[in-house]
Amino acid sequence: MKKLIIFFVVLAQVVQAQTPVPAKPQSKPIALTGGVAHLGNGQVIQNSLIAFDKGKLTIVADAATSKVDLSGHEVINITGKHVYPGFILPNSQVGLQEVQAVRAMNDYNERGEMNPNVRSLISYNTDSEFAPSFRFKGVLLAETAPTGGTISGTSSVMEMEGWNWEDAVHSADIGVHLTWPPINRRQFDFSTFSFSVSPNKDYDKQVMELQQFFAEATSYGAQSTKDANLKFDAMQGLFSGKQTLFVHANNPKEIVESVRFAQRNGIKRITLVEGLGSLWVADFLKENKIPVILPATQNLPARTDDDVDLPYKLPHLLTQAGVMVSLSNDGALHGARNLPFYAGTAAAYGMSKEDALKTITSNTAKALGIDNRVGTLEVGKDATLFVSVGDALDYRTNVLSHAFISGKLVTLPGNQQELYERYSKKYGQMK
Amino acid sequence: MIISILKKSRILLGLAFVLSGWSAIAQETFPRNDVKDSRAGLFAFTNATLVVDAQTTIQNATLLVKGNRVEQTGANLTVPKGYATIDLKGKYIYPSLIDMYTSYGLPDVERVRGGGFGGSEQMESKTKGAYNANQAIRSHYNASDEFTINSKTAEELRQQGFGSVLTSKPDGLARGSAAFVTLNEKNENTAMLKQKVSANYSLEKGSSTQTFPTSMMGYIALLRQTYLDADWFGGQTPRPFSDQSLEAWIQNQRMPQVFAATSWMNILRADKIGDEFGVQYIIKGGGDEYKRINDIKATKASLIVPVNFPDAYDVEDPFDAENVSLADMKHWELAPANLATLEKSGIAFAITSYGLKKTSDFMPNLRKAIENGLSETTALKALTSLPAQLLKVDDQVGSLKKGMLANFIITSGKLFDEKTIIHQNWVQGEPYSIKSLDTKNFSGNYSLTINSQAYNLEVSGEAGSHKAKIKVNDTTSIDVAGTFGNDLITLSFKPDKKNPGSIRLSGWSESTGWKGKGQLVDGTWIDWTGNRTGDLQTKSATKPGEAAKKEELGKVIYPFTGHGYPALPTAETLLIKNATVWTNESDGILQNTDVLLKDGKISKVGKNLSDGSAKVVDGTGKHVTAGIIDEHSHIGAGSINDVAANSGMVRIGDNIDAESINVYRALAGGVVAVQVLHGSANPIGGQSALIKLRWGESPENYKIQGADGFIKFALGENVKRTSNPSSIRYPQTRMGVEQVYVDAFTNARDYEKKWNTYNSAKDKTGLTKPRKDLVEETMLEILNKKRFITCHSYVQSEINMLMNVADRFNFRINTFTHILEGYKVADKMAKARSSCFHFLRLVELQVGSSLCYSL
Repeated sequence: MKKLIIFFVVLAQVVQAQTPVPAKPQSKPIALTGGVAHLGNGQVIQNSLIAFDKGKLTIVADAATSKVDLSGHEVINITGKHVYPGFILPNSQVGLQEVQAVRAMNDYNERGEMNPNVRSLISYNTDSEFAPSFRFKGVLLAETAPTGGTISGTSSVMEMEGWNWEDAVHSADIGVHLTWPPINRRQFDFSTFSFSVSPNKDYDKQVMELQQFFAEATSYGAQSTKDANLKFDAMQGLFSGKQTLFVHANNPKEIVESVRFAQRNGIKRITLVEGLGSLWVADFLKENKIPVILPATQNLPARTDDDVDLPYKLPHLLTQAGVMVSLSNDGALHGARNLPFYAGTAAAYGMSKEDALKTITSNTAKALGIDNRVGTLEVGKDATLFVSVGDALDYRTNVLSHAFISGKLVTLPGNQQELYERYSKKYGQMK
Repeated sequence: MIISILKKSRILLGLAFVLSGWSAIAQETFPRNDVKDSRAGLFAFTNATLVVDAQTTIQNATLLVKGNRVEQTGANLTVPKGYATIDLKGKYIYPSLIDMYTSYGLPDVERVRGGGFGGSEQMESKTKGAYNANQAIRSHYNASDEFTINSKTAEELRQQGFGSVLTSKPDGLARGSAAFVTLNEKNENTAMLKQKVSANYSLEKGSSTQTFPTSMMGYIALLRQTYLDADWFGGQTPRPFSDQSLEAWIQNQRMPQVFAATSWMNILRADKIGDEFGVQYIIKGGGDEYKRINDIKATKASLIVPVNFPDAYDVEDPFDAENVSLADMKHWELAPANLATLEKSGIAFAITSYGLKKTSDFMPNLRKAIENGLSETTALKALTSLPAQLLKVDDQVGSLKKGMLANFIITSGKLFDEKTIIHQNWVQGEPYSIKSLDTKNFSGNYSLTINSQAYNLEVSGEAGSHKAKIKVNDTTSIDVAGTFGNDLITLSFKPDKKNPGSIRLSGWSESTGWKGKGQLVDGTWIDWTGNRTGDLQTKSATKPGEAAKKEELGKVIYPFTGHGYPALPTAETLLIKNATVWTNESDGILQNTDVLLKDGKISKVGKNLSDGSAKVVDGTGKHVTAGIIDEHSHIGAGSINDVAANSGMVRIGDNIDAESINVYRALAGGVVAVQVLHGSANPIGGQSALIKLRWGESPENYKIQGADGFIKFALGENVKRTSNPSSIRYPQTRMGVEQVYVDAFTNARDYEKKWNTYNSAKDKTGLTKPRKDLVEETMLEILNKKRFITCHSYVQSEINMLMNVADRFNFRINTFTHILEGYKVADKMAKARSSCFHFLRLVELQVGSSLCYSL
């Protein structure tokens, strides 16, 4: 099975099939009955009734106790199956990066250091072949973010389907990504053919540059007559609290300094991204209510001396310490469809299943500042959810029967499934 | 696997920061490679002690900066909307310092080795193009053409508080123009405030490979001749030829003139050149001005003074100590008081970092100067307003008045206090961080809880340099190593003295103290907290007697060398009684005779003299004679030889060395006056100086006023460069030597004619004023019997030849010296009425037939 999947991935790049046609808006109320509902906030309803209309959840209830008239609803019986809020992939380059090796297809790293004004939204490619492969595993929303430089740009949250970016956008311009300067630098020493770590002697200077940028951006907001500055315009949402500052930092000292920096500069919403060193400063993150978006759990430890299972158990350890954790995908983008299983690994290493689920649903929505609309199955929220035949955090049972994005029933099979079908037939003929 | 490596390298190697293209001074003409990033640069620095300039300090001040300029200053100003406020409570703001003598951002000068007397002479300049005939005249050079930002040097200077500098390439006697630049690292276009600010000169040849000049007096002669040439050249339209160096020289006269000297004696030499041509230089000294403070003051020059105090000498071992001279020891002692001495004497001076081994020594040395009496006000002026005024850039830098450049430093306290830290150096409205601005003070008592074990931690010292210890009881404590950042803290200590293991803690600060994680001696990870429990008990401010007597400094001696006087001697009334007096007059030798000296003269010679005011010296059994006069000497001069075949333009008198120990030694032998002669490197050497050995006096006071002019000629092997096989200088034979003389005097006659024609013309319109040539002038003096020849001589043919030349040009040779074969032509010499001076040395072939008899 595994071998086959790898095989398909390779072929998918060769056979240029079209992405599935986006679905029509929800035309009538839909009710899902009898499924095990994982609400994303820790609660589970064993025999649930979930209904939604015009793209919004209207009923989330225990089917046994609620007496609701479902006339007018399209009722889908999902008894024995599981229903989940759509998984959310944070900090990705989906829609900005297709084939990384092809320079022409890369639109995620603008030149320059301070680029808050570049917006991932307008580069987002709805025909990306990644989106169908994500939603097939229940990842129905993704943050797409610029990378590179010091201030990389402004990110948005996209629905994993739509005709164009205006159509696909879920939450536009939710925040700005900042990569904190490293306190130490790793340098390759050719004489010993190994890496050595030395202090970054430009650290103070780099922090000073950032300080100037933030200070001037702040005062720019208060100036009545001024020459327009697109970069500073793009920073204002951070100061008003409308947008989140996504701080990328790993070293525990960088984490403390970057968070304090942001606080001193009046940033109201701060989310730590990467944060491999978070465990050492967990108390600090907890007290300052800083959510952390960790890299994938299915990873090798960052350092030789780390526990071999540190990446697996880190979400649990941090959660235990009172830090709100969510999971992302680092490295090549195709791995992002495994987001549910990253949570599954966290569950295998200490977390409860429902807590692990939070790391790809409600916690992520909070970290991105979109929790008023998504992340849990609650009345009034987006009807962005899916039905799986079994536990969606498990490779074996993450098999989707239905997926809805804002109430739209999306076509699940994509290019990969097409190829799977096609070649299944070939080997079927050979039998 | 590949994915994982890629990812890590991104995390760990990423982030190559590049300075953003933004600048407080927008450069609209430059192409942009980004969206426009126009920043108003509005900053309000509040609650600071603002030192506007050395005279004006505002408490609780607000400094408003707009872009690259100071917008407003004042006490408790309301910060307008749109300014980024930086609270500087407890901090100071100073205008950033100015160094008006650097070569910042300019390429190094190639040092030339050798030159002078070895190898083949280079007779002409190797400067390519239509430039001056002498390679050491580089007046055409503009520092602005070559200036390039040098981040490393800029940072070193900024760390000492400098914000702008004059930069000049230290190359050549005339060094061309200097540029005034700030220490920003953005680009040269904004860093260069003014392209041509001063014209710079020195008494160093720099990279010139041309043989002439090679001596101090040669340098002075060349500068003197260049002033004359520029005047002659500039007076003609059209010019007689192209000389871009002279053109630039003429243009450069409009700017402040800065002269680099290296010692007090060179300051006097430089000033004297200026006096001849009506130029008042600003002179960069060597830091030893205190040695002759009155002479320095008399120059009326503003100075640029370094703080390059000598390191202490190692005198631990008494034998080694003998190698250190008294002059060196005294200079080591007194150099730090040099600036105070200058201040007391009312001399205007700027201070430079030039000459320091490490730029980081600047502030420590400056503080040393302040400890030695320099006032802080003068120190600040010398680094701000004064250099700005001298360079005429005081409309831009040197104070923090409205409209000035936003060039300032933020310090933790008074700038010159030892503990003061420079936090930030703002250049043209842009900050450069030196030491984190908001360094918190953590001093106090803390209760440290490590894994439920409690300790009493005491943090003492100043913000940024805290010390910590754990108090076990009243008498025992454990040292704690730590770094105390604003946000981060690291502590480590050995809980058990007998055990080498340490407890190591890292954490972050919170309102009540610190919190974090750490490892116990056995490596166990633990949580820890440090809660502030109170202030430290303050100790009594100063211990009794701590204001300590500062050791009194030693006295300046005259001259500043061993055997110098603590004070200059004055003429005394002196009665020498009962001596044997050699009158050297017709009276002959008088026995038991008294001599009365009064008002600098021999007042009376006779028996039984008395004078109530005189100091009496018993001369019984002793002899008194007029002081010995040495006709041929090479003592007491900064240089002896230059190398032009006709060096008649150089003057020993331009470089009298008033600190030469040989003067003292000659005095001890009874010599009171000497003719200091040029050497024998050329047929026509330089002009002599006739000096009295006034030990302790200034160079000019050595000279015998009203004495006739003399000049050195030389015959023999030296002048044809016999000892240098690769010499190409004319003459190489005694035949050529004669031609040098004939040529010189023939030309001098023609030169005289030209001037006579010009001077006698009633209507000078259309006439070109002849060029004033210092060689010709000297030759004319000889011909006109205003200057007399002392000639170094060996064999009879050349002695005969020179007398023959003199005859032809109708003058006579005053003195032949050495005159080894004089006896062979004594008859002719007697006829020519030349005197001779004889000495014997068997070092040269020509000495072979000298006689040890006086004929």
